[in-house]
Amino acid sequence: MVSTFFGHELKAFWRSKNTGKSIAIRVVMGILILYLFLNVLAIGIFLDKMLEAMFPNEDLVKAFCGIILIYFLFDLLTRLQLQELPTLRVQPYLHLPIKRDSFVRYLALTAAFSVFNLWPFILFLPFVFKIVAHDSGSVVALSFVVAIAGLTVFNNYLALYIKRRSNLNGWVFLISAAVLGLIIACDFKWHLFSFRDISYAFFGHLITMPALALLPFVLALVMYYFNFYYLKQNLYLEELTAHKIKSYKSSTDIPFLARFGSVGDLAANEIKLILRNKRPRSTLIMGLFFMFYGLIFYTNNHYGQSWYIFVGMFMTGIFIINYGQFMFSWQASHFDGILVSKINFIDFLKAKYLLFTIVSTVAFFLTTPYIYFGWKRLLVHFVMYLWNIGVNTTIVLFFANRNAKRIDLSKGASFNWEGVGATQMLLSLPLILTPYIIYIPFSLFKQDNIGLLVLALTGIIFILTRNFWLKKLEEDFMQKRYQIAEGFRNK
Amino acid sequence: MIEIKNLKKIYNGITVVDVPHLVINKGESVGLVGNNGAGKTTLFRMILDLIRPETGEVLSNGEVVAGHENWKTYTASYLDEGFLIDYLTPEEYLYFIGGLHQQSKAMIDEALSNLGDFFNEEILKKGKYIRDLSKGNQCKVGVASCLLQNPQLLMLDEPFANIDPSTQFRLKNMLKDANKNKGITNIVSSHDLNHITDICDRILLMEKGVIIKDIATSSSTLKELEDYFGVGQRIEEPVPFVLKIDEEENH
Repeated sequence: MVSTFFGHELKAFWRSKNTGKSIAIRVVMGILILYLFLNVLAIGIFLDKMLEAMFPNEDLVKAFCGIILIYFLFDLLTRLQLQELPTLRVQPYLHLPIKRDSFVRYLALTAAFSVFNLWPFILFLPFVFKIVAHDSGSVVALSFVVAIAGLTVFNNYLALYIKRRSNLNGWVFLISAAVLGLIIACDFKWHLFSFRDISYAFFGHLITMPALALLPFVLALVMYYFNFYYLKQNLYLEELTAHKIKSYKSSTDIPFLARFGSVGDLAANEIKLILRNKRPRSTLIMGLFFMFYGLIFYTNNHYGQSWYIFVGMFMTGIFIINYGQFMFSWQASHFDGILVSKINFIDFLKAKYLLFTIVSTVAFFLTTPYIYFGWKRLLVHFVMYLWNIGVNTTIVLFFANRNAKRIDLSKGASFNWEGVGATQMLLSLPLILTPYIIYIPFSLFKQDNIGLLVLALTGIIFILTRNFWLKKLEEDFMQKRYQIAEGFRNK
Repeated sequence: MIEIKNLKKIYNGITVVDVPHLVINKGESVGLVGNNGAGKTTLFRMILDLIRPETGEVLSNGEVVAGHENWKTYTASYLDEGFLIDYLTPEEYLYFIGGLHQQSKAMIDEALSNLGDFFNEEILKKGKYIRDLSKGNQCKVGVASCLLQNPQLLMLDEPFANIDPSTQFRLKNMLKDANKNKGITNIVSSHDLNHITDICDRILLMEKGVIIKDIATSSSTLKELEDYFGVGQRIEEPVPFVLKIDEEENH
């Protein structure tokens, strides 16, 4: 039975709309994954050299033993954030005459097929084979492998268990996250105990007593059965789905936007779209993280002013780029509704401009503390702010007319390639290159300030001629709307 | 109200809608029936300028629908959940739709208070986003948003499919009232032959994209339709079972 489930799972993967995307994207994805894989592998292979550099006065094996548990601690944190529950897919089988046990076994087993379970092995095994096996013999090396595997599986099922429980009760997640945070703080901030010592105490003894490796192994088994029985007890639809228990959703108004009439209404709807759906919300939060971009570049004298243009553009316009690249896919699920209701497309576009302008303005004000690094930085930010709301918004909307890929708003953003197509790849080129095409010639003749001025003026000209661009975008849309709507209807 | 000329839609070499000529007059109440894949939804979508026909055109009040937006001011429609903005609460959505027609909140509240029976206390002030409502309740929101717009033309695709029996009767009465007392032109599709013959003066029967019957409803219409769909067949004659991919649901 489990093999039948597994066969269906493979079919689901290969036949999903998400997988069936163009070859180009698959190649790019493949390269990215390979790159990440090779990076981790390189760290794994050179772990001995890195540990030598980090703890020059310590025994290599001791240092290695010290970091293992710390790794697993942070591994658990990342898992809680990112690991997906393998759940919803069982829905079509629940009513069929299939034994509960085989179901639950399948669910519990597939949970082990997660990329997260790969990393510890790539990271630690090269060291185990290179150094530990060499120093202490193959039996000890084997015990290390078993211990690491045990901890990986334990972490895997612990993370899933916490996630499952927190589906029923949101507090579980908060409490476990707080406990983890507290453990980390106790160690690294208050120095109440040291995870390195604990880790060393265990793995150090492993060298003299390889049989201890059974301990993590047993822990992993216990955690697996814990999961198994919990799932078996709770195999009901409402408890399996990834939805949190719903609280009362109230209607809200955004009075500030009301003054813009129907354009304001549309923008208010879009703000609600962003705040109430998982994926656009994480796009917005990612944008907030970009506010720290300046700290990387401004604290390092290595980067000159031409870099600041880049930094300024990203900090004030990351939302336009990150959110705008998927326009109008965000509204794919109700695009037909928009097309038949009494919404002027010009208004629809104006609402986008309004939204971009609001978010960019907020972002610009958030970057004002960078004045600490000199007023020139802030000036560059302002120039790029003008550029963003003038030029980049228009570029993004031009490409939005060429995007007909549906996005399911309820799915998370991490590792979600839905809606990614050639448009997004093409879009990044003009966004990144055009400011430099204008700026570099001036910069080459040491006229950086004139270069900035020209950038600012271009931005202002685009803002002043917005109505012209609106008209052009509308004409363009009128030709492409059937294709766009058709694409959005394809689930 | 609506005039269709030489309208054709072809998917992968198969003609899914082929309507040489059709006129729907102002104040008519038209029912569209036909098995799955007959082309009802495709026809609706072309009338609403959501898909591009291969040939022909649809005129609404004498103006071509494609490329014009005037018809949107007097046409209200609900085909499927894709018409609803699902991350809004029903209130927010209805205020938004009303707002598009320059209605104040007070006016909308007033209009909604008349729909209390229809909503059956399951829609408003429930603290749910539209996406968390059941299909039937989503349908109620869609129908309510249509009525809110005070349209001259109302188009509903299988409105009875997901709603409970009480709501079906209320909806029937509302549609009759809209047509008889307010003069709204209705175009409604349904698989429920009783309902459709009850509310419509004129029935269009579609088969494989073609309107094969255009009947003014009379006492014999239901019988006629039942005969067509095979309900009246006796058990000795087995109904041929044809497995057909459902075009409408497969988009």
